[in-house]
Parts: sequence; C-alpha cells; structure tokens
Amino acid sequence: MKRAAVLVALLAAGAPGGVLAQDAPAPLDPAPIVGAPKGPPLAGAALDAATHEVAAVLRCPVCQGLSVADSPTDLARNMKRQVREMLAAGYDREQALAYFEASYGEFVRLQPPLRGVNWLVWAAPALGLLAGGFVVARALRRSAAPGEPRTVAAAPVDDPALEPYLLRVRELAYGWPGGRRPAPTADRQE
Amino acid sequence: MKLNRRILGVGAVLTLPLVGVLVAALGRDLTVRSPLVGRAAPAFSLVPAGGGAPIGTADLRGKPAVVNFWATWCVPCYQEHGVLTRGAAELRGRVTFVGVVYEDSEENVTRFAREQGASYPSLLDPDGRTAIAYGIFGVPETYFLDANGTIVSKYVGPLSEARLAFELEKAGVRR
Repeated sequence: MKRAAVLVALLAAGAPGGVLAQDAPAPLDPAPIVGAPKGPPLAGAALDAATHEVAAVLRCPVCQGLSVADSPTDLARNMKRQVREMLAAGYDREQALAYFEASYGEFVRLQPPLRGVNWLVWAAPALGLLAGGFVVARALRRSAAPGEPRTVAAAPVDDPALEPYLLRVRELAYGWPGGRRPAPTADRQE
Repeated sequence: MKLNRRILGVGAVLTLPLVGVLVAALGRDLTVRSPLVGRAAPAFSLVPAGGGAPIGTADLRGKPAVVNFWATWCVPCYQEHGVLTRGAAELRGRVTFVGVVYEDSEENVTRFAREQGASYPSLLDPDGRTAIAYGIFGVPETYFLDANGTIVSKYVGPLSEARLAFELEKAGVRR
C-alpha cells in the first residue's frame, strides 16, 4: 500500500522512471514501456473527460466486447484508475493505450490502430460504399436512358410460330412498319 | 443468363475470400498470444500474504521462475494447486515459484494455504497493477521466466504435471 502511495506520488509529480533508490526500475512504472510523459498533466474536468475517452476505447479483457468505461468488473476499475493516474502524470492518450497494449496486445484496443492489415478494416466500409454507389449509379443511368423504347417491345421473338402475330401487334401499337423498329435505333437492339 | 453469370462472379469475388479466411482459421489456435513472451518480465515488488518482506522480480533473477496468477475463488486453481506445490518442493533451490493473488483477500489466501498447504509465497496485488502489467485475462495464468528474467512462455488454464515439466524445460530446467 505504501509502495502504491509512492508510485502515485511519483506519477503525480510526472517523474520519469528509475527515480526510486533501487537498482531495479520502479515497479510497474509506465515510463520504461511508453517513454517519458508527452502531454501536459491533466486535472479536474479535463482529466475526467480524457479518462473516459481512453477507457471507452480500451477493451475490458475479462468481458465480452465491453469497454473499460462500461464494465463494472474489478479489473476494468483498476485499469481505469491506472489510465487516470497516467493522464494526471502527463502521459498522453496514445501513451496510456500503448501501456496496456504492451501487456495485452493490440486486442486491448477497441479501435484497431491504422497500421498493417488494419487498413483493410478501416477502408472496407468506404470501398464497399463506393462500389455500391457505382452499381446504383450505373443502374439508374441505364433505366433513365432517353429515347430507348421498352426493351420488351424490341425483344426478339422466342417462338417463330408466334412471330407474325407479335410483329402485327408491334406495328399497331408503335406504328413500326412491319412491326420492326425503324432504322435509326434498330442497331441498338439488345 | 449473361446477367446471372455476372452476379455469380461478383458473389464469388465477395464470398470466396471470406470462405478462405474461415477455412484458414479452422483448427488454428486462436487464443491471444501474450506480447510479453520474449521480453523482460514486468518489474513488481509485492508483499506476501501472511506478512513478510516484499518479494519482487529482482528476487527471481539467477534462476528460472514460475509466476502463477491465481485466486481462492477459482476452481481450476484448486486443480493445479497440488501440481504447483509439489513442483515447487521438488525443485526447491533450482526454480523459484511465486503466486500472485488476483482479486482476492489476504484472509482467503492465508486460510487456503493453511487448509491446502503451500510451498511458496503468494503475493498480494491489491490494486491489480501487477495483473494488468502481465496482461492477465483470468486465473489461473502462469508465466515461465528464464534465469535472466525474460518471459519464455505463458500458460493459460490449470497446469498438469506434464505441462509444468514441458514449460519449465523451455525456461531451461532439465528434469
């Protein structure tokens, strides 16, 4: 408990690692893992907000898909307290996340960082949206093509026995001579 | 027919990679590997249950070590308790064993030691700092350190005699 108090005091002072009069580095000091604090020490409402922000993107390791901010477990509470201490000591948000990543792996981040294969995770929704938009746009353009008669009307006749009747219907309905589409668009048959 | 073939093609392009990932992942060990393996064991210095001077990573140097995270409320920890106490007694002087208590009280731990026996100290980690530094997901989880204090392996779940011997071998302990 005394040791914890010393650690808290050290963290609060923003002291770098290895200050304790020991040959070993200070127990569980984040500095050897994430380097010296990079940001300004936070306090008050800013500290509360930043703590919540980091805890919200930190996975509770003993839960199913819950963040440290949302989990009521002891482990999550302890992790949140450590986040708070680190931010109060001047470590920035990324350093706080990196500290937990060092022991739990990338798994502990609820938002995969933009590196390596993770790019796919971030890019896939945008690419999917683009591809979908392209398909929709093409379909819309096709259906709205001007001057194009109903495709059924120009479709070839399946049954040769019915052809004379169909051509007669088309002649009556569209006024096409002989039931065939007039020359200017005749080459655009499907 | 032409359109159907195209839809089929697009569908194949979309689904085949997913199926491929699924097939590739079948039968693969999907447990999260500890990023600590191969690195220096995170430093700690903790008071043993029942009192005494703090024991820390500095005390583990020079000999292979077993760091076992456990709790009295954990049933698999009961299962492996005999394996660990026997192992620690047999390998006394050659391997250092320490337990680290995970989310449990000193009272529970001392009572457990009285009733079940103990051959190595269990250290108290009241605010869970050590458990977090070691990336503990649950108990029991056991780290094996070589004589230089480097983590050579992590085992999740209750240890059997054979598993203990196997993991200790990685840490440089010959039978």
